[in-house]
Amino acid sequence: MDLETFAKFVINVVAVVLVLNAAIALYGLLARPNLLKKIIALTIFSDSINSFAILIGFRLVKGFENPVPPVITSVPPSESYARWFLAKSVDPLPQALVLTAIVINLAVTAFLVALAIQIYRVSGTLDARTLAYEKARRGEER
Amino acid sequence: MGSRLLAALSMCAMALALAYALTVGVFSIYIPIELRPLAKILVTSAYNESTPLFSSMTPEIVTAVVWDYRGIDTFFEVAVFYVAIVATAALFRGIERSAPRTSVGLSTIVRTVTRIVALMIVVVGSAIILHGHLTPGGGFQGGATIAVAVALALVAYGLAKLVEHRIDYETSLKVRSLGLLGLSLSACIALIAALILNTNAYVFQNQPKTYAPIGLPYAVDGVLISGTVLLLNIFDGIAVAAGFALLLILLSQPEDVARERVLSSEGGE
Repeated sequence: MDLETFAKFVINVVAVVLVLNAAIALYGLLARPNLLKKIIALTIFSDSINSFAILIGFRLVKGFENPVPPVITSVPPSESYARWFLAKSVDPLPQALVLTAIVINLAVTAFLVALAIQIYRVSGTLDARTLAYEKARRGEER
Repeated sequence: MGSRLLAALSMCAMALALAYALTVGVFSIYIPIELRPLAKILVTSAYNESTPLFSSMTPEIVTAVVWDYRGIDTFFEVAVFYVAIVATAALFRGIERSAPRTSVGLSTIVRTVTRIVALMIVVVGSAIILHGHLTPGGGFQGGATIAVAVALALVAYGLAKLVEHRIDYETSLKVRSLGLLGLSLSACIALIAALILNTNAYVFQNQPKTYAPIGLPYAVDGVLISGTVLLLNIFDGIAVAAGFALLLILLSQPEDVARERVLSSEGGE
């Protein structure tokens, strides 16, 4: 196995693990009855998708050295620095998208937690099965 | 226990086998050795004094994409963030002013350490915000860092002490609105200058463009500020910190009072 195949293999391992992680989180989201565990699974799911987006922005560098983060550290950049930076920098666009996605994810998680607290205050349980049963029972009473 | 270990090991083996199949097989993930064309444009033009009409003059390219090239996208993503906070505040309506009169808080050691650490956290958060155009970081990250100081103080001192020092629902709401107002104004700052000087400009314009010669200076007295990027980072940091403080204050209301209010408002059921 030469160096290029090995680098691609390592990246493929990360990709497969992230997809498996997302699959497990999706299972938790659908199968766990506790609403709080559903929220945790949703967070894990979105984080694995975000990591996958970062992975898509990753690249290989000629000679298989490490790529550098997309930050220009020499201001103003000289011509040789600019050429070196272009040859080694990773794609900044997925990182920019993930940056805002993480913040929104945090706010949405806080909203879902608030919703779960409110459900617990009203009905005294966070079990989705009990909540559905209670709703059905209330419907029968009416 | 043994069967669980076996399941975990088989899962690892499956992942490795799948990765190997992806590497040698016909179906594989495309990993570029060159940058994509769009990324190439971003990387070459983010800080480039020779092409000022296409450059954002921001050395941190992720921040350049977030607040300059895709500024309107980020503005609407910020809107989503604030809608989530407004939804939480609406869900907790009626219980935001039910703070207790007194709170004990944790021990003297914890309170003293919190007093020192909270100040340091605020300083680090401010540094992350103010260096957002130079190093990885910016308004979102710095604001979230500053909100950690509020979370620590809530745990160590209790809500009543914070309300006594005016770190309450009302103040964080006002500060958050101030941050949002500043964000909108700095998005339109080139437009306002163009209206005064009777020329053309765009919303979210940072550096001068073709047919829109108004732009903010990217360096003041030799110090790089990257035009509107610094302003947007500062106001976004203020708004995010106040927004998270608002969420934390709402989530730490005393449970007995909150439950009573919620159940009394559900009385019709």
